[in-house]
Amino acid sequence: MSSSERADDFATRRKPLHGLSDAELHGRFWSLVQEIVAPLIEEARTHTTPAIERSVLLRMGFTSAEAKLIVGGMHQRGWLGHGAGRLLLSRAQAQGSSVRQVGEALLAGEGWEALRP
Amino acid sequence: MKLTPNEKLNILEVLRNLAAYRPRRRGWTWRSGPARQQVGPFMYENASPALAQSVPLPSAHWFGDIDPQCDFVITTEIASGRFEDDLRRMRMAAWHGADHLMVIRTTGQSHIDGLIEGTPEGVGGIPITRKQVRATRKALDAIEDEVGRPINFHSYVSGLAGPEIAVLFAEEGVNGAHQDPQYNVLYRGINMHRSFVDAAEAKRIMAQAGILQLDGAHNANATAKEAWKVTPELFVQHAINTEYSRRAGMPAELIALSTVPPTAPPAPKLRLDLPYMVALRDLFAGYRMRAQQNTRYIEADTGEATVTHVLDTLLSRLTSADIQSTITPDEGRNIPWHYNNVAGVNTARQTLMGLDGMMQLVALREDGYLPAMARELKERAVLFLEDVLAQGGYYAAVAAGMFVDSGYFPERHGDGIVRDPAGGDGADTVVPREPDYGAPVCSHFGDNAYDGQAGKACAAYGGCSLCNPERIRYVDEVDEEDTVARRLERPLAEQQAGLLRPEVERHGDGIVCVTLFVPAEPQLAEAAALEMARRMGLAEPTVISRRMMHPAEGSVFEVRGRLEAAIRIDQLVLPPPSEPIADAEIEAWVRPRNIAVVAGTVGEDEHSVGMHEVLDIKHGGIEKYGFRCQNLGTSVPIERLLDTAERTGARVILISTIVTHSAVHEQNMRRLAALARQRGLRAGLVLIAGGTQVTDALARACGLDAGFGRGTTGRDVGSFIVRALRER
Repeated sequence: MSSSERADDFATRRKPLHGLSDAELHGRFWSLVQEIVAPLIEEARTHTTPAIERSVLLRMGFTSAEAKLIVGGMHQRGWLGHGAGRLLLSRAQAQGSSVRQVGEALLAGEGWEALRP
Repeated sequence: MKLTPNEKLNILEVLRNLAAYRPRRRGWTWRSGPARQQVGPFMYENASPALAQSVPLPSAHWFGDIDPQCDFVITTEIASGRFEDDLRRMRMAAWHGADHLMVIRTTGQSHIDGLIEGTPEGVGGIPITRKQVRATRKALDAIEDEVGRPINFHSYVSGLAGPEIAVLFAEEGVNGAHQDPQYNVLYRGINMHRSFVDAAEAKRIMAQAGILQLDGAHNANATAKEAWKVTPELFVQHAINTEYSRRAGMPAELIALSTVPPTAPPAPKLRLDLPYMVALRDLFAGYRMRAQQNTRYIEADTGEATVTHVLDTLLSRLTSADIQSTITPDEGRNIPWHYNNVAGVNTARQTLMGLDGMMQLVALREDGYLPAMARELKERAVLFLEDVLAQGGYYAAVAAGMFVDSGYFPERHGDGIVRDPAGGDGADTVVPREPDYGAPVCSHFGDNAYDGQAGKACAAYGGCSLCNPERIRYVDEVDEEDTVARRLERPLAEQQAGLLRPEVERHGDGIVCVTLFVPAEPQLAEAAALEMARRMGLAEPTVISRRMMHPAEGSVFEVRGRLEAAIRIDQLVLPPPSEPIADAEIEAWVRPRNIAVVAGTVGEDEHSVGMHEVLDIKHGGIEKYGFRCQNLGTSVPIERLLDTAERTGARVILISTIVTHSAVHEQNMRRLAALARQRGLRAGLVLIAGGTQVTDALARACGLDAGFGRGTTGRDVGSFIVRALRER
């Protein structure tokens, strides 16, 4: 039997649970689940991905193909951690143009350096 | 766009001006209204409002054509690969009671890092694109108006583009979606960090668009060798996704657990499945249940599949469900055919109406085996969770192969799915958010520089697409070769030319299925069945179901093949439609004439119901028009009918002939005509036959004046008699 194999030792393992009422058992179930999920959701709170950033640009009025190119360019340059939407909006506000105009320039290969966070 | 029942769905109309289309609502709709209501002759306890238009169950004609609707939402899953064909299938399913239409995605879409656009053809499902989603929602708006009930449109928020698909669904009014990061990890080999980080964003978007979420735990059921042994793990998978969804901002009422009774007969299904279902509902009180039917043990025999699905549905009613999802009975042998979607929906509809009010009659035991087993399953699940933490958390547990192990936990067989937390599709694409990270949009999860500001995060540039739909940029087509317009060329040309072909999946695919019993040993019989199908002119015949009746006496086969010929509509000869005469007109003509009618069920045949339907005043039969009817009963000799007619001066003889073996119904009809002629009575009599296998053409061929089949009313028969007697 390898380390990942195990006989059904439920009869032994269940002993500590024996004294729990059903409500207590349910409480134990959900508190263990919360313990497992906490680090997962914390990672999500503090991280982003190209798909998340593309979804932000979709919401800001870019097509899927445009969002892919713009986010790809930012990811390549190591800027994604600032947020694709934030980079576009900050630039638009700085130069007094629309978000869409900033994006279209990037798609034409222009204005990338000015975007640097 | 408006549909009319006698006109086909116009796909060109669906596609017209899609760029300007906006969905009429967002979010999920449950069936509502009083559960207790009178429908026709019956009081129901688990009902929902009736449809404006529908096709009732076949037996409904005995009960005044009622079509009561149950309180569960009913799902059907659609996967033809061409959305334009899916729409027609959706319309048919809606007419049979489906209000949750789930569109399967094309193979491989999970691995595409971004959205697909246009209308390319898919395999085993459609590529989910904005145009296809928009066209589908637009068609469903028209279909829901036609049937008079909101229809939920559903697909999948998974794979590498989860957050983008969630945005697309929110924008386009998709009502439900699967979202479960564990599915990506276990079954799609997508990097686990990427999958979970993406999922939080997708779930937040879905939550704020009111999209109902289904999880993916049922897949463990479908993949495990012994599905009932993974039940402890199913609680764990449901719980991880549920808790993660709550933490991402999803309210309990939008979280539905996708759950399947794990076994099928000959396993002792209720004993194995019921404790699991009870334990699940205990642990997850407050969440919705999407009860799916079993696919794990489905075979090619559609009858067998249907029985399992009836039992699954019985288990839903015994416990609880908010959605009853259906599996087509042919899923074990091919990609579902459209009429089998309807068959699956009808299995649920028929079963649930039959089980209406069941919990007034029975209760689940609160002592003995059932609660003891439910408790055991919960304890096994708690031990599983403890082990996940002991392994070092979720990612480490997946890396250690804890999930989808075929052992009955804590038993382990060492055959679980193993994934590397650093590997998989999309590895190394998860980026830490910098302190100034920002996303100026709504429905965003996690740290965000714009969260602190007053007003919406998207206010600075006039609103994101979720607040301001004008911002959505619609893409029509990308690849001009692979489009719906190209695919429609042949069907539209054939429609124009008035050609008709049979189909099961796509427009005019020509596929038919024939059933053959061959009286020989299985191997020989199968070869013969294929040859017989070839002789019928079917191209590429394939056996899709074989069932031995006896090793030597024979087997029954279902053979699929393609009929190459198209029928020209203008060359078909249709019998003239005969509109029944108005009740008052029939009565006005009949009553003063005092017309005698002699009737009886002939031969050795004890069926009496059909004749009562046609004669008796209480069933709406012809007595009400003033016919003087004499029913001689069942197993009546033909001679006796003629004797009585002669004695009473009857103008009409009605026979009912139900039994058909050795074509005895034909013999009865011929004998009536022949004896009437021999006795010189034929010219003075209107001779009519009725029965389940009787057609007008058959009756006339046998020498009678008319024949009536299933669904005949007294008014149909009365109208015919009046017309026939007027002519004489």
